[in-house]
Amino acid sequence: MDAKRIGDVLLKVEDISLAFGGVRALSEISFELRQHEMLAIIGPNGAGKSSMLNCINGFYHPQQGRITYKGVTRQAMRPHEAAAQGIARTFQNIALFRGMSTLDNIMTGRNLKMRTGLLAQALYWGPAIKEEIREREAVERIIDFLEIQAIRKTPVGRLPYGLQKRVELGRALAAEPDLLLLDEPMAGMNLEEKEDMCRFILDVKEEFGTTIVLIEHDMGVVMDISDRVVVLDYGRKIADGSPEEVKRNQAVIDAYLGVSH
Amino acid sequence: MGPFLEILIGGLLTGVLYSLVALGFVLIFKASGVFNFAQGAMVLFAALAMARLQEWMAPSLGWVSFPVALLATAAIMTALAFAIERLVLRQLINQEGIILFMATIGITYFLDGFGQTIWGSDIYRIDLFLSKDPIFLFESVFEGGILVDPYELMAALIAGILVAVLAVFFQTTRVGRALRAVADDHQAAQSVGIPLNYIWLIVWTVAGLVALVAGMMWGAKLGVQFSLTLVALKALPVLILGGFTSVPGAIVGGLIIGAGEKLAEVYFGSTIGGGIENWFAYVLALVFLLFRPQGLFGERIIERV
Repeated sequence: MDAKRIGDVLLKVEDISLAFGGVRALSEISFELRQHEMLAIIGPNGAGKSSMLNCINGFYHPQQGRITYKGVTRQAMRPHEAAAQGIARTFQNIALFRGMSTLDNIMTGRNLKMRTGLLAQALYWGPAIKEEIREREAVERIIDFLEIQAIRKTPVGRLPYGLQKRVELGRALAAEPDLLLLDEPMAGMNLEEKEDMCRFILDVKEEFGTTIVLIEHDMGVVMDISDRVVVLDYGRKIADGSPEEVKRNQAVIDAYLGVSH
Repeated sequence: MGPFLEILIGGLLTGVLYSLVALGFVLIFKASGVFNFAQGAMVLFAALAMARLQEWMAPSLGWVSFPVALLATAAIMTALAFAIERLVLRQLINQEGIILFMATIGITYFLDGFGQTIWGSDIYRIDLFLSKDPIFLFESVFEGGILVDPYELMAALIAGILVAVLAVFFQTTRVGRALRAVADDHQAAQSVGIPLNYIWLIVWTVAGLVALVAGMMWGAKLGVQFSLTLVALKALPVLILGGFTSVPGAIVGGLIIGAGEKLAEVYFGSTIGGGIENWFAYVLALVFLLFRPQGLFGERIIERV
């Protein structure tokens, strides 16, 4: 299990500032993320948590600061390029392909693993078929892992909320990411669904050694499963440390209890 | 029964041609949410290019001029899709739908004018090397049989093959899946590594090739001339009937409108007055807008309040 222990720095965020017009979403945020680590980002609504994820996977381009990923400091990167470098994510408001089946949704996650050209696919020619079958096997393994065999062919628009969240996790896992960004994976779930989701996230970390950034509101969950916690409030970082340290931090307590600034 | 069937089949076959134009609209609308006003102009442009290339090659090549001109025009339509993506769409990424719509109106007028500048503005013909003689079907069943135009039969056949190929492509390949993914959710599609530009390039190319097939069949039937762009307007009621996002909807909508307007013309034309064929489709579309605005196969949009 040596490889699964927390390792070198995978992602380094330095001095990130992001503004929309006059509204500052993020101010001078810095933190590091190490390999195989589970980092939770918490904070009140509007603290800039989702904006931070959007900067990491290239939906937003911060006006200031540097993001170093796998040792390379990158310029403004587009989301599909981030995906090509092994960053996968889920969304706060589920962003599945509603008209497509569970299977097809997860297959899109394999997009970057597939190589046959447009022409071979248009003709539905030998290599294209072989590739479909091979990738299909990988997807079936994920379906087994997430225990969603029964809804394999169901259009995801018809699934209950909790299962949709699970399918979205499956799509992200299908890319075999090095860095997995989860934006409120348990929001709106009941206790049982939350426990299932926690188990899946921990299994992903144990079995695949994936580095995970997690945004979550449920403090119990955050304190239980994360290795480290970064707290944002009004776009600023107010704490960074182990769950135990963060729990005792006065600034964090104030932010959550709403002490006037 | 014989005459009724003859009108019905004639109408359905014309409807297939409406479907072909509507199909081009649906492809682009599905993948990018853009209503491509320029689809009609693309039909004319493709037909003009094909007609002039064939005219130029026919004396030396004979019937071979048909496949050669077809391939050459396909290459031209692909190049056109590249140019539109690079020069227009890429610049307007993340803009509102109405702005992209205005851009396609610009493309429409440019293509109409530019096409006639380089290819000429007379009436040209496309020769499919088909016999012009009508075919009689079921002569043993009905007296005189049912008269069918071979051009329309050919068009129906080609449209059928085209739709089958597109359906397989959309349902079972990676690129097809990526196209559907982009149609459903741009951001999620990008997050799994699908570049939007590449997908737009593909849909505009496919829409260009569909325009070529439509232009070829319409051009062979009516002659290649400016009025082809008006035929493309008939695709609008087809889309309202079938739903803007549905490929089967474009086909069924085209068939209903084609058959409906022919039957209305023949059976009610004498009482209401002639020329029903010209406006029937639009009235049908208005009725649909009142009672089923999402069309027959369109996705019903339920907004949570």
